[in-house]
Amino acid sequence: MDSNIIIDLKNVNFYYGQTRALSNISMTFRKNKVTALIGPSGCGKSTLLRLLNRMNDLIDGTRVEGEILYEDQNIYAPDVDPVEIRRKIGMVFQKPNPFPKTIYNNISYGPKLTGVPVDDMNALVEQSLKQAVLWDEVKDILNQSAMNLSGGQQQRLCIARALAMKPDILLMDEPTSALDPISTAKIEELIEELKKDYTIIIVTHNMQQAARISDETAFFYLGNLVEYNKTEKIFTKPDVKQTEDYITGRFG
Amino acid sequence: MMNRRIKETLIKYLFFLFALVSVIVLGLIVFSLFREGLPIFQHTPVWDFLFGMEWYPTYDPPSFGIFPLIVGSVIVTLLAAVIAVPLGLLAAIYISEIAPKAVKEILKSVIELLAGLPSVVLGFFGMVVVAPWLQDTFDLPTGLNIVNASAILAIMAIPTISSISEDALYSVPREFKEASYALGATKFETIAKVIVPAALSGISTAIMLGMARAIGETMVVLMVAGGAAAIPESLFDSVRPMPASIAAEMGETPYRSPHYHALFATGMVLFFMTLAFNLIADYVSHKFKQTGSATL
Ligand SMILES: Nc1ncnc2c1ncn2[C@@H]1O[C@H](COP(=O)(O)OP(=O)(O)OP(=O)(O)O)[C@@H](O)[C@H]1O
Ligand SMILES: [Mg+2]
Repeated sequence: MDSNIIIDLKNVNFYYGQTRALSNISMTFRKNKVTALIGPSGCGKSTLLRLLNRMNDLIDGTRVEGEILYEDQNIYAPDVDPVEIRRKIGMVFQKPNPFPKTIYNNISYGPKLTGVPVDDMNALVEQSLKQAVLWDEVKDILNQSAMNLSGGQQQRLCIARALAMKPDILLMDEPTSALDPISTAKIEELIEELKKDYTIIIVTHNMQQAARISDETAFFYLGNLVEYNKTEKIFTKPDVKQTEDYITGRFG
Repeated sequence: MMNRRIKETLIKYLFFLFALVSVIVLGLIVFSLFREGLPIFQHTPVWDFLFGMEWYPTYDPPSFGIFPLIVGSVIVTLLAAVIAVPLGLLAAIYISEIAPKAVKEILKSVIELLAGLPSVVLGFFGMVVVAPWLQDTFDLPTGLNIVNASAILAIMAIPTISSISEDALYSVPREFKEASYALGATKFETIAKVIVPAALSGISTAIMLGMARAIGETMVVLMVAGGAAAIPESLFDSVRPMPASIAAEMGETPYRSPHYHALFATGMVLFFMTLAFNLIADYVSHKFKQTGSATL
């Protein structure tokens, strides 16, 4: 098997109660690449993303069929602890959601939970904030509440918080949809930078953003994977008419 | 057009009137409390009244030192808090975060039922069930004592504490919980480190209001605290909390006698203590709200 593949979905179906939200999805995600998930509202992008770190477990009455292999291990096997999965597969949400704690404690929250003593928490906090290009703005106010930061700063804090766990994969669900263009540009640069060390899977409604930052793009419609290919190919000559219509805004 | 504006104005003033009525009534009550209470200080100086060790209102000459009563109220309330806070809080956490739906509904109605029990019924229970049991088990002269009163007061405070705390826990945004889970926290870590701290302002309000309820409660302490106006030496001693003293003695005092004024002044002390609890609750909840309990 291709050693560049980090996640491999095999015939995955997903149900909220009786309603099927994802139908027969088979796809692979490649290591150290940025993969964009696009598609109209309600097509199942967030659902897929949340499947990958077992966040859907938290919703009552959901059901998964098929296999999701992460480094060749099925993360839905009965002996797998979702807590372990979530430590390796970090997540950034659409709405910035820092804890109502200090900036410092937001970052140290995750690492402290692992039970592995961190020799130098200060260094880890600094490193994570630097990675998320937030250090210069907050280095003097680490002990103030994260709630006082601007939306863009909060979102970068959430990214830093996820990075402090040193995950393998970063899942991002429309991370810039609540932000102004300047903050958005900062986060896009950041994603470019993070690609060297992390695998990034990002949901976005912004076509230019997908085109700018991703290596591969998957187009979903009504719970189905319609087309999945190199971003360049998807945005220049897609194979499926539906994809083209969506990208060019002639959808529906 | 004109008609509608007149109607709006009328409604506005009507509501203002209603609000005014409650303020005026409160003002009148406080005024009469002070008018009837303050004269005692011509008989007994404030210091001797508050810190005097002897409450012998019917002796000749009488002695009006309410310190034993204050101690009685405070100790019974504190012990009730020690019992009710953990139980109320754990119940709230269980109901809002852990219990399956069916259990949750049952528990909530049981607690509501508990809140609806008349205090005289609880007092009766304390007298005929708890007191004999305490007396036999610990070989005491009487089962009407601090422990008994605190236990019954705790039962009364638990519904207040748990239902207000539960509201506070429930209103913690989902996003915080998701963020915590996504960082690899377990359910219990999420509850202890994110949900409870985020709900702390509401929880402290709940505790303060529960305590305010306990310190002002009359029937229970009248029935089960034992009524001894002395500083207790152990938790199995009887005490005479302020509300019990007022309720027991008011009927037998001549109008505007020193004893009568002393009981009103005791009411003033109680009023200030309850007020303090409410102010603290207000202050704490604002403080945590502003900083988002940032330092936790
Ligand atoms: N908690 C839930 N319970 C029941 N159904 C849900 C739940 N969450 C999502 N769904 C349904 O699953 C389908 C896919 O939702 P999902 O949130 O994955 O869409 P999405 O592609 O992320 O849309 P958007 O772009 O608007 O975020 C929708 O039809 C939605 O109604
Ligand atoms: Mg979504």
